[in-house]
Amino acid sequence: MNTFEEKAKRYSGGWKSFVRDWMILFLFVALVVIFSLTLSTFRTTDNIMNILRQAAFTAIIAMGEFFVILIGQMDMSISSIIGMVSIFFAGFVVKMGMPVWIAIALVVAMAAIIGTINGILVVYGKMPSFIATLVTMNIIKGFNYLYSKGLPISGLPDGFNFFGSGYVGVVPFPVILMFIVAAILFIITAHTSVGRSFYAVGGNLEASKLSGINVVFVSILAFVFSGVLTAIGALGLTAKTLAGNVSLGENLLFDVMTIVVLGGTSLTGGRGRIFGVVIGALFLQVISNAMVLMGINTYWQWVVKGIILIIVVLIDSNTKRDIVTAARKPKPARAGEKGEK
Amino acid sequence: MTSRFQAETGIPNGAVPLVELRHCTMEFPGVRALDNVNFTLMPGECHGLVGENGAGKSTLSKCITGENHMTKGELFIEGRKVRLSGYSIHESQRLGIQVVHQEFQLMSEMTGLENIFIGHYARRGGLIDWKALTKKARELMDFLQCDVNLSVPVRYLRTAEKQIIQLAKAVQAESKVLILDELTAVLQEKDILNIFRIIGILKAKGMGIVYISHRLNEIFECCDSYTVLCDGRHIHSGNVRDIDKKELIKMIIGRELTQVYPPMNRRFGDVMLEVKGLTAPKAFRDINFYVRSGEVIGLAGLVGAGKTELVQAIFGTHPLTGGKIFIKGKEVTIKNPRHAIMLGLGYVPDERRTLGLNMKFDIKENTVLPSMSRFRKFKLFQDHRAEAQAAYDINEKLELNYYSLWQSVEKLSGGNQQKIVIAKWMLRNSEIFLLDEPTRGIDVGAKFEIYKLIDALTRQGKSVIMVSPELEELIGLCNRIYILYEGSIMDIVEGERKTQEVIISSLLGVKEK
Repeated sequence: MNTFEEKAKRYSGGWKSFVRDWMILFLFVALVVIFSLTLSTFRTTDNIMNILRQAAFTAIIAMGEFFVILIGQMDMSISSIIGMVSIFFAGFVVKMGMPVWIAIALVVAMAAIIGTINGILVVYGKMPSFIATLVTMNIIKGFNYLYSKGLPISGLPDGFNFFGSGYVGVVPFPVILMFIVAAILFIITAHTSVGRSFYAVGGNLEASKLSGINVVFVSILAFVFSGVLTAIGALGLTAKTLAGNVSLGENLLFDVMTIVVLGGTSLTGGRGRIFGVVIGALFLQVISNAMVLMGINTYWQWVVKGIILIIVVLIDSNTKRDIVTAARKPKPARAGEKGEK
Repeated sequence: MTSRFQAETGIPNGAVPLVELRHCTMEFPGVRALDNVNFTLMPGECHGLVGENGAGKSTLSKCITGENHMTKGELFIEGRKVRLSGYSIHESQRLGIQVVHQEFQLMSEMTGLENIFIGHYARRGGLIDWKALTKKARELMDFLQCDVNLSVPVRYLRTAEKQIIQLAKAVQAESKVLILDELTAVLQEKDILNIFRIIGILKAKGMGIVYISHRLNEIFECCDSYTVLCDGRHIHSGNVRDIDKKELIKMIIGRELTQVYPPMNRRFGDVMLEVKGLTAPKAFRDINFYVRSGEVIGLAGLVGAGKTELVQAIFGTHPLTGGKIFIKGKEVTIKNPRHAIMLGLGYVPDERRTLGLNMKFDIKENTVLPSMSRFRKFKLFQDHRAEAQAAYDINEKLELNYYSLWQSVEKLSGGNQQKIVIAKWMLRNSEIFLLDEPTRGIDVGAKFEIYKLIDALTRQGKSVIMVSPELEELIGLCNRIYILYEGSIMDIVEGERKTQEVIISSLLGVKEK
């Protein structure tokens, strides 16, 4: 019989399954190396920091969507939540004269409530999440325009700009924030039972219920995560321009979906990693950045991103991977040798 | 032996076999799934194909249908040699070979009529000729002597009726060979007898039937001949009348099973679970039973008798309208599975692949899922190493056949998957095990291991409530058997009265004294 050490060893398939597991990371590194070698403007420190900074808030929003996709659902309402957070935050601070911190707390709470509503519609209302969140998306959008009459609200205090464009040494603050958020979420997903329940619910809802997982709580929590992280990202985007804008998130939903899938999250739920999402966001940003540097018309970005999403989803739907870590059957002879030791 | 067999089934000497496989070898990369197997199917013969999971039964049937291309060997269909290059499912269907699987390959929203003729619609002037199809379907149903409503979507039909539609679909295409792959695994005794009757009709018409099943009794009841496979090797073929069950089991598992059921634990403790007057509309009413620690009780009943619903109700997933549940003498209201688990219950559902396990997860993750809260560091973080160690310990104890804790549960055999579902609750320290068909679709050897496991549980003082369609299993394992008929308890059988005859008559609603 094999010992515990042997049966608990990850990657018994060797480097091959390791590479397959971290495919997106290797592709990302390859992309960066290719652009660094071919584009002299790409490899400057300024440009690298620029890429990181621009990717940061989209990444945070994508990490929220990640949880919803992980449980096998979809959150379409994020584009309106971004607009809502942006316009109401600016309204609270500029029109009503609230302190920034209280306004932040208020809009984050609003986003959390929207997330809860989405979750309740899906869990208790048994609505397909695509429809439920499409509906909330439109309702919120309506309120956003009713509140702002479609006009931006500018005049946020200058100090708030730090949140979107500040630097700590040479590193932009948003980048630090992104890594802090990613680290916290990583600990949640990998090292807490709630985090692991997201995977369980996405993998098999009924089996999870029968194993005593609180599927109602976990499902609603995923939508709340999506709402709250979207709010944080939206505040950052607002801070860049110091103005509230209802249409801030209108083109972002597509990017966010692409990032989540690019990061190796299964669209049917149950599989994915938080750092995959971070790398997915950087991957997409590197491509847009390089296209800008090469002087390609920005509208081509939509075409290219569309093609990337198709390729990634095609790969996701047509490969049958072995679970989270692909363990391979060891060759009998070699296993025997190891057993002797 | 051959002549005797032919005399009995009334096949004239010199009849041409419908299917003949000679020296069939099938190799997958690294594995030899079939090794020099011979197989012959005569017209009017029902040929049982038996062997453990992974013995090569499905591979053999797939070689006949063309789904697999054999590496070496020859295939003759009605005496004509088949050119193996270019042989495919389409080609085999054209030659009259049809397969019926246990999984329903029906369009659930389409009617029985549409399902039977799908792909073979009779046309008139470019439009589907429903009149002609209806007439043809009537004839088909008359031929099979069945009465199934063909005008409603098949999802409204009973399981057994769906199987009949599947059979009708296979028969309508003028087929000569029918491969029935574990067709009866989800059926009850009564419906199985009906399938046997249909098989008889088809045999009389001169069709050849390959019958694959884990239930050995069925082989004796409906097959004329048998072929045993073990690890891809051809063990023996012969006439069913020449062997008995013991010999067959010996051939299948390659050793002798002296004691199929372990001796029953007789040291019972206090009553662990008791239900009084349990009622749920349309499922069951006024159910009373109890189970002591160290005891196995059985729930028997036909499909629709309410046994699965009863077990689910105790586990908090089926709504109750009346009655009381007592655990260790204290009355409890079980709201949901989480609550039930906290009270010490563990549920092994009948649908192992969709309800019992998370197929996307690995062995360790599945094993520790209900007990995650036990492995926390600082009350917050999961201790992965402790989890892995615990999963390792329990799975080694159950003699699980695996190579890594991180391996997906999807490719494990049915028996091994079931062990993990039970291991889950053992690790959770559950005290009352609700087992709904714990041996469904697993092979003889693995069944024996599950029996041993159930016995081991009782010796640790656990209580087991077991549902099974196999009466033999219930008689062999349970101290007391409650027989449900249309939602209420018809009879309680224990001791001397634990016989097939008594139970079957109660199952059908006739109480015997």
